[in-house]
Amino acid sequence: MSLTAQKTSNSRATGVLTHGTITKERFVLMAGPTQPRPANQHMRRNPPIAGEQEAIDKAREGDGRAFETLYAMHKRRVYSLCLRMLGNVAEAEDLTQEAFLQLFRKIGTFRGDSAFSTWLHRLAVNVVLMHLRRKGLPQVSLEETLEPSQDDGPRKDIGARDLTLSGSIDRVTLERAIENLPPGYRLVFVLHDVEGYEHNEIAEMLDCSIGNSKSQLHKARMKLRDLLRTGQRKEQIA
Amino acid sequence: MIVMRAVDKTMTCAEFQDSLPELFESQADLSGHEHLRNCENCAALVRDLEYIASQARLLLPIHDPSPAVWDNIQQALRQDKPEPPPTARK
Repeated sequence: MSLTAQKTSNSRATGVLTHGTITKERFVLMAGPTQPRPANQHMRRNPPIAGEQEAIDKAREGDGRAFETLYAMHKRRVYSLCLRMLGNVAEAEDLTQEAFLQLFRKIGTFRGDSAFSTWLHRLAVNVVLMHLRRKGLPQVSLEETLEPSQDDGPRKDIGARDLTLSGSIDRVTLERAIENLPPGYRLVFVLHDVEGYEHNEIAEMLDCSIGNSKSQLHKARMKLRDLLRTGQRKEQIA
Repeated sequence: MIVMRAVDKTMTCAEFQDSLPELFESQADLSGHEHLRNCENCAALVRDLEYIASQARLLLPIHDPSPAVWDNIQQALRQDKPEPPPTARK
């Protein structure tokens, strides 16, 4: 058994999360996406799309039709990312719009060091984080991470014979469980397990330590397990 | 009251579970871990967490934004201009 999580290459802690919401100063927000590492897994997950480069070149020159092509190519992934991070359709649509407007403004700065989709998704993540930061960050409070509730831990299950999840969870069920994660957990889980960011990247984005990112991810998975098992029990009773 | 049960001589369930984040991140093969050979509950926990992570990686972007999003973008673009590429700034 091996969990194929990505090992971080950067062990430098960028900050420490404390109880309560993240303060302005400690929540790093980047105006635009940094150029990600070219060899990371985002390149593997985001291979070039046919016609994309031509559309990028034309969009850089202000061609509206080319920009529309880029929107059609990437709208689903950007919107899905926003929706998973926020859990709210209206906000996700607003931020999808904002992400593509920023893309329009910044496409001239895309250097091609990484896959375009990688660059665009980082831009979208930054837009979402900036939005959460503007809201005063109640949604990204990490307090639940540091003081997990009784429901978060597995130890209550010790000694109990119970269901195992393996092979029994469909995509819709998992999506619903992710929606029900506490926001702080959801952010890290979506960034790491769904989007494929590494802990050093998440730590940089959230201005927390790599250790905290790892810890938060683990607790998010534990919470998901609880949510999924609870759902299974309810189904069995019904 | 929750009672911790030691299932091997070296590690309790609580100790094993405390070490799980680092064990996962080390990408170690946990199947041979001494504690898991003796503890069915912790083995099930590890299997579940691995399963959750593997299923999450398979999630596809399935949601499309409403057509209104593009309408709003188009409207905003009419009043906006892109930043010039770096070479054109000189």
